[in-house]
Amino acid sequence: MITLDLEKCSGCSRCEVHCSFFHSGKVGRSGARIKVVKIEELGIDYPVVCQQCGERYCTKCPEKAIEIGSLGQVLVSPTLCTACGTCETLCPIGAIELFEDIPLVCDLCGGNPRCVNACTLDAIHFAPDQSEVVQLKEFKKAGRGLGPEEKRLRYSLSRSQWLRDQWISERSA
Amino acid sequence: MLYGYGGHVLRVDLTSGQIRREKTDPDYMLQVIGGRGFNSTRLFDELKRDIDPLSPENMLLIGVGPLTGTLLATSAYITISGKSPLTGILGDSAAGGFFGPELKHAGYDQIVISGRSQKPCYLVIADENVEIRDAAELWGRDIWETTAAIRQALNDNAVQIAAIGPAGENLVKYATVACNNSRMCGRTGMGCLFGSKRLKAVAVRGTGRSTVADPPGYLELCRELDQRILDHPEYAKRKAMGSTLLMKALNGIGILPTNHFQEGLCGYVDAISGERLAQEYKVKNKSCYNCNLHCSRYYLTPEVESEGPEYETLCSYTSRIGVDDLAFALKMNAFLNRMGVDSLSSGETIGWAMECVQQGLFSSDDFDGLDFTWGNKEVVEKLLHMIVYREGIGDAFAEGTRNLARRFGKGSEQYAFHVKGLDMICGDPRGIKAFGLTYAIASRGGDHLRAEPFFELTQRFDEAEKRWGIREIADRLSDKGKAVLVEHTERQALLTDCLTMCKNVGLSMDILDFDFAARLLQTGCGLKFTPERVNEALKGVIERDRLLNIDFGIDASQDTLPKRFTHEPLKKGASKGNVVPVDQMVKEYYLIKGWDKNGVPPRKR
Repeated sequence: MITLDLEKCSGCSRCEVHCSFFHSGKVGRSGARIKVVKIEELGIDYPVVCQQCGERYCTKCPEKAIEIGSLGQVLVSPTLCTACGTCETLCPIGAIELFEDIPLVCDLCGGNPRCVNACTLDAIHFAPDQSEVVQLKEFKKAGRGLGPEEKRLRYSLSRSQWLRDQWISERSA
Repeated sequence: MLYGYGGHVLRVDLTSGQIRREKTDPDYMLQVIGGRGFNSTRLFDELKRDIDPLSPENMLLIGVGPLTGTLLATSAYITISGKSPLTGILGDSAAGGFFGPELKHAGYDQIVISGRSQKPCYLVIADENVEIRDAAELWGRDIWETTAAIRQALNDNAVQIAAIGPAGENLVKYATVACNNSRMCGRTGMGCLFGSKRLKAVAVRGTGRSTVADPPGYLELCRELDQRILDHPEYAKRKAMGSTLLMKALNGIGILPTNHFQEGLCGYVDAISGERLAQEYKVKNKSCYNCNLHCSRYYLTPEVESEGPEYETLCSYTSRIGVDDLAFALKMNAFLNRMGVDSLSSGETIGWAMECVQQGLFSSDDFDGLDFTWGNKEVVEKLLHMIVYREGIGDAFAEGTRNLARRFGKGSEQYAFHVKGLDMICGDPRGIKAFGLTYAIASRGGDHLRAEPFFELTQRFDEAEKRWGIREIADRLSDKGKAVLVEHTERQALLTDCLTMCKNVGLSMDILDFDFAARLLQTGCGLKFTPERVNEALKGVIERDRLLNIDFGIDASQDTLPKRFTHEPLKKGASKGNVVPVDQMVKEYYLIKGWDKNGVPPRKR
């Protein structure tokens, strides 16, 4: 999976840019499978990407179009997918989003994630052997009825609180 | 199919509420490229000359470059242009962040705003859907609150916003427009122009994706640019400190403005340096869209937090006005960012007042009881608040240093350090001669970014010989060949602005040349941008800028510097004994340009 060193991220969004370009030859947030949330007033920049969560909410696809690949990545079958949007709704952190009727989610670029290569701050890593499983249950209920952008914002706010606390304790030290 | 470009120009008339989308014309873009070149050419073509800059007739243009929002790193800027409320001549200012790429992804190359709204408003652009919204709830709020409130109102945190603060609303002549809270279009009062149109902000969300003509070829060039940046000898330093590295660097060569340019050497530079900022207050790097330099910083002090500051702000609120307190400068940076005030122009009004008091021209009685002794932080803070809200003496200070000095008179004009009404930047030109020439001829007034002739600081003598056949060009204290350098880098700077790229990368790091840019434009846009064609376009823009300024009343007598820099040699430090032989250099510059001795291009004669 893709892991993050939050304190190193400058928010440049090169991960997002290169993700989009690799997958489509075009550049834009809509075409990216990793999306950087900027919380301007807190100085937080948070790239949100599929966490290969323990719950695997998205696999409850009514068309059985989603399966898990050998690297733990989410694979969407273009023939089975009907663009119903269930996966987008089910993902608690906004890591799957439909664009032009295709659910976009991190596929690890087949094992050579371009976001990792694009990051010049060493903030994003590819950890194929990550044993610790991320649980996203805590975001499920609060995320109900929200769009992907809002879900990403809530997730980023919550998961960056420790860094804010660290900065503030360093400041008073 | 138009590649690279967004494909549309958006016209909004705030008086009538009319909104119109036009198609971008590829043949026209071959002549102006984009960004600043596109903006100032439109001003040349469409702007009535003899208008009050604050009148509805003035135009407000927001332009992005043809390759902004593509794979190309460091091209995330926007340029905002119009007739400057501060100077009355060509005004424009650029800022990075995330607004530019978003505007591109929404499908636009330029926004053209005219008229004046009845009520405070803001513009919301969501791809092809554009509306003018009521800003009653936003008026009076600072930039950070405004950005957050708009994102909340639109229920979309990914919306990018260019906004003004109370200073812009109150028509402070050097009010700024901010992208991403702290990325400032700082110079020439574009925030005042927003305020005069009762436009609080422009919010944009683009769901489109940019395309390029030749993706594999383009990818290769973008990789090369990435590598040039990563391999640059100053990469680590610039990444750690950004432009604040200049505090110690400029002090080292004796040109760090200290006590309003009375000296170029600051005894307490270590206390206010970029090194100290990075070590004690910085918590992480910040960055513009798709940049691999990450030169900006986020900081926390016991009192405030913000992104920045850049060198010009840091110097303006420390040595330039005799302040040795870094935390204070960081507090002022946050305040200026929130309120939307240009640090250079506000800082110059303060420096002017402090110098006038020291010289005995005025006392605190002339300034509402404010005691302008060097480094009086309490007064600086109080005055800034008065400027933003135009209270008491702040009302006069809000007009900019040139107007302020005219109003106070008694010879205080000699201490108003501006060129053509634009306050001078923080680099004493006496130790950097090409910069001196740049301030004198820059088409927006006393500014370095119109040419950024950083090469003269590099001591790359062999390279100077190779490029221009004049070794002395690499010697900052020599005036020899500097007109040649400035004529060259003025085109390079404009190229950078037309691509809305970062000048640190393009010029200071000497990474963008004409051939490389032409290849980027060809593979990116698919148009026949040869190096010759690019240069023709750039020359055309520079000439039109000059013609426009002549229409605004500029003549050769204003292509000069304040007397201190031409007649008072620096007394200490590594530039000791130097002044700027500006008249000679300006003459050479005209000659190279083919302008007559009055600085008039042939087309006008």
